[in-house]
Amino acid sequence: MYLIVFQLLFVLTFGIFILSKRHMSYFGLFIQLGLAGITSYWSVDVLIHGTVFERELLISFWGNPLEIKVDSLSAFFILVLNFTLLTGTMYSAGYLKPYINEKNRAEFGLHYFSLVWLHISMLLVCMLRDGLAFLVVWELMAVSSFFLVIFESEKEETVKAGIYYLLEMHVGLVLIMAGFIYAFVQTGAVFSFDGLTVYFARFHPFPLFLLFFMGFGIKAGFIPFHTWLPHAHPAAPSHISGIMSSVMIKMGIYGILRVLTYIHTDLLAIGIFILIISAISGLLGVMYAIMQHDLKKLLAYHSIENIGIIGIGIGIGLIGVAKDIPVLAALGFTGGILHVLNHSLFKSLLFYSAGSIYMRTHTRHIEHLGGLIKRMPVTALLFLLGAMAICGLPPFNGFISEFLIYFGLFKGLRTADFQTDLTILGAIICLALIGGLAIFCFTKVFSIVFLGTARSRLSENVKEIRGGMIFPKILAGIMIVTIGIFPLYFVKAAGKVAGLYVEDIPLIIQNAPPLSNVSRASLVFILLTAFLWFLRRMQQKRVQIEHGPTWGCGYSGADPAVHQYTATSFAENYRELASPILKVDKHFELLKEEEIFPRPRSFKTETGDMLEENLIEKPIRRIIYWMEKAAMFQTGNLQHYIMYAFLFAGLIFLLTIFKLI
Amino acid sequence: MTTFSLLLLFELTLIILSFTERVKRFLTMLMIQGVLLFGIAYLQLQHINALYLAFILLETIIIKGLLVPLFLNQMRKRNNFNRLAHSKVSTFITVMAISAAIVFGFLLSSNIHDDNLQTKFFAASIATIITGIYFMIVHRNIFTHIIGYLIMENGVFLFSLAVGSEMPMLVNTAILLDIFVGVLVLGIFANRVGDTFKNMHVDDLAQLKH
Amino acid sequence: MNGLGFLLSIVSSLLFPGIIAVTKAKLSGRKGPGIFQPLFDAARLFRKGSIYSVTTSIIFQIAPVIYFASIVVALLFMPFGQYKGFLSFEVDFVFFSYLLAVGKFVMIIGAMDTGSGFEGMGANREALYSMLVEPAFFILMGSLALLTNHTSFYSLFVHIHFDSVLSYLIALLAIYLFVQIAMVENSRIPIDDPKTHLELTMIHEVMVLDNSGFDMCLIHLATGLKFALYGGLIANFIFPDTWPLYTQIAVFLMVNLLFVIAVGFLEAFRARNKLEKNPKWILTLSSISMVVFLSVLVIVHKYFLE
Repeated sequence: MYLIVFQLLFVLTFGIFILSKRHMSYFGLFIQLGLAGITSYWSVDVLIHGTVFERELLISFWGNPLEIKVDSLSAFFILVLNFTLLTGTMYSAGYLKPYINEKNRAEFGLHYFSLVWLHISMLLVCMLRDGLAFLVVWELMAVSSFFLVIFESEKEETVKAGIYYLLEMHVGLVLIMAGFIYAFVQTGAVFSFDGLTVYFARFHPFPLFLLFFMGFGIKAGFIPFHTWLPHAHPAAPSHISGIMSSVMIKMGIYGILRVLTYIHTDLLAIGIFILIISAISGLLGVMYAIMQHDLKKLLAYHSIENIGIIGIGIGIGLIGVAKDIPVLAALGFTGGILHVLNHSLFKSLLFYSAGSIYMRTHTRHIEHLGGLIKRMPVTALLFLLGAMAICGLPPFNGFISEFLIYFGLFKGLRTADFQTDLTILGAIICLALIGGLAIFCFTKVFSIVFLGTARSRLSENVKEIRGGMIFPKILAGIMIVTIGIFPLYFVKAAGKVAGLYVEDIPLIIQNAPPLSNVSRASLVFILLTAFLWFLRRMQQKRVQIEHGPTWGCGYSGADPAVHQYTATSFAENYRELASPILKVDKHFELLKEEEIFPRPRSFKTETGDMLEENLIEKPIRRIIYWMEKAAMFQTGNLQHYIMYAFLFAGLIFLLTIFKLI
Repeated sequence: MTTFSLLLLFELTLIILSFTERVKRFLTMLMIQGVLLFGIAYLQLQHINALYLAFILLETIIIKGLLVPLFLNQMRKRNNFNRLAHSKVSTFITVMAISAAIVFGFLLSSNIHDDNLQTKFFAASIATIITGIYFMIVHRNIFTHIIGYLIMENGVFLFSLAVGSEMPMLVNTAILLDIFVGVLVLGIFANRVGDTFKNMHVDDLAQLKH
Repeated sequence: MNGLGFLLSIVSSLLFPGIIAVTKAKLSGRKGPGIFQPLFDAARLFRKGSIYSVTTSIIFQIAPVIYFASIVVALLFMPFGQYKGFLSFEVDFVFFSYLLAVGKFVMIIGAMDTGSGFEGMGANREALYSMLVEPAFFILMGSLALLTNHTSFYSLFVHIHFDSVLSYLIALLAIYLFVQIAMVENSRIPIDDPKTHLELTMIHEVMVLDNSGFDMCLIHLATGLKFALYGGLIANFIFPDTWPLYTQIAVFLMVNLLFVIAVGFLEAFRARNKLEKNPKWILTLSSISMVVFLSVLVIVHKYFLE
């Protein structure tokens, strides 16, 4: 019954095109609610009972009936993506309102159609196991998100970013496909995930895993496969950036975790490999983020950082399995997987808030913002909530997952051997540094965007956004606080998933981490803060409260609008330290000697991505250079072309004579 | 364990060296290293021939711990050279690099299983030699080159302890001679350069070609 | 009796700033204020009204409250010999450290809320330094966890034993690191000189230029509490739980007193670092704790000595 409704909803999506622009979002939301309701019902059932849900879809695929299969891994990811996609669609209704007059019905329809199909394709990615069908829905996911990214297709850079994104996704697709095909050719087993079991049992798993890791890693955004994120996220509308950053990149993590379920040997090497890549992603992600001035680009780099944290969890989990340290394995996996949920919550909240800011101020450049907390207080406080959660501060959800990972690391220290201990130490240092850098970054962002006074006209007379757009953010905010204070059920759910890799999870989850104590400490903290606030209110009723200008250290002309810190100056001391890995371009014009009355000048700094420059752009420039050299053969002269044909024929002739071909 | 405590202190001197700016502090650290090596050698080599032992002990404490630092201090005073000029590489990276070298030494030595090799000395010596070479690469100053050279020699001394307790005598005598000549030559050289150029940057030496 | 550490720390925290001030004054040949002067100041501030800049928002007002609460809750973890803290669970030092980070986070944005260029300087230095010092604390706690095979403040300090030369050396280094981390966290010499008169080079003091009244009172008290936090940890580190209770209390207070007097000495005789040198100096704390970690690996026989 549910299965039939589930598939009927696929067909219903075409109804979007016959509706008016205003009603599309509601209809899309209606279909998504149906999809989410059914799949969540299945998933919750799977997670509670620990069973595997298997059904055959009515659609057949190349003559084979298509089977969907939901185990705890799929179930967890389905729940995560359902939540974020629903909040995303809710948010989109308000966010796209200004575009209603600009865009025609087909464009609007295509957007919502793609949005619903992105949801469907992601659900199917989590549910399908057949290799070919998986690749098809994986491709569907890439294409539908491509259409979503290029919503503002009248802007050239948006289309450019979209195409860049689509290209990288296809590189990933090819790698995943190559992985499947290679396993299939080597073993002759079924062309599906389950067929990988045979391959991994028979051969050395690392090379094939590497292939899959690269394919899925491009989606997930591990450094050095991250280059699409900082381009696609700013270009896309905010609800789309939120969805892509919160859940779509997690499909890469899902793929990696799925492949890992079939690998039982050589886990140490794989674990160390994932740990190193993740540590680099985590550190470099946040280090680049600090220097960004585009709010959404900055958040995109933070996605890379959080993927790194998830990867660190998975990596140490694998090392724990390989070295037989149950607590390391269990808590590493649980923490990493819980962070998937946590990141999806605060990252969508942050992107929606960034969207609200963009909607009101029409800029994403943080140096143009400032003082918004007085004009958009709700957005500001929600952003602050997301910022504190992403920094991993208690009592919010980001802390819980990081705490679990730390717990595993510190508990695992004793039983591990020398080299594992040093690895653990490295992971601890990385996590601590990432935490500190994230605090640096988000204190900067929050202060520059919301505090002080306006830095340009753009942020002067703005109004708070309306309720319809605040509601989805509040939903995410409630989840963030709930997980932060009452984490137990969520940790148990993540533990169920970790149970696919480690056996004695329930025991460890129930006994070891003192989560109830963490909640108690968080509650004490909140209550004490509330009590002190109350005390302060009492005290302030009795005394005189005055208002005046900010203390200018004796300078009577001190004016916050002129003297307040900018994002660049806040990051200056950090930039000095991190300069070896940053690429800061300064654009300015020197004063010429003959210029007696200098013209007005401007100074601009821009932080590029050194990795992108060296890994992608330089090689491409080199290729283009040689291509252009090769273009000299393209003379446009017919006689030359005939000569080429003649030479080619002669070459073939000679080669055949000398038996070279 | 006691020997290791001295090695631990020795590695701490490397960390202090990594962020030192004052030349005087460099020399103090060299002195401390000499004294520590004296202690280590004494604890480790008690069973060898008393004459050899006495020689090694005298060598560490008198030459490494006293003579060379004092000689360099004279040179520092003569040339009025108190602070190291900034090198191109930031101190921040130097600290990280030297910490990494220490960890690397431990990692490498834990991977080597050889009965003749005493891993703890090996670990420390690797870190010390890397530090010495690092100083010589990064800094442009002749004076720092001498210091790097001396740190490296301390590393080699530890290395000779690592590979066997009989060896140090022979190895050390040879090295000692090298060092002594080296320091002397470089010292005189640096004095001359100091007279000529007012500072002791290696870059300036390129001018001598003309 | 759980929470004895908390109560003792609260008591001693009230006197800390006074003792430091008196020590410094005596050493530099001044008469100096009385030991209770900071307390009188706090009481006076509590009665006073406040001035708020028109640039500020709710963030500025709530920041000191959250900051103070975070430190008090962190103090609840303070064990005392064989008695646990009010709150104690495994890996509680991670919570402890992140809780202090919450306090720093809100103080930084609170300072930025005023829109003052000077407070911006303090805020961004605070952000940078607390980021750099974080690994040192974690590595140190990791080393102690490895040494004792326990992971909460309470059990860690109860099970710590020193028997060889190497372990004494490690204990010394650990105490050195605790003291220096405390100095960074409190923005004292050699990182920052709270008594300097130049706003351009200050860190913590310049962040609270605009606070007044009740908020300032909380910030003043928090300074003492933060010292007590680290003083208490050092005291716990030193005395074994087998001693009789009264001796323990006496030793606890003694160690705390010694700690603050040492801080006073340091501040009286030592010059502050050049500002640009600070990050490098803080990084060396991590390096030293890494060496401590390696040595602990030797003690627990993971790295084989023949």
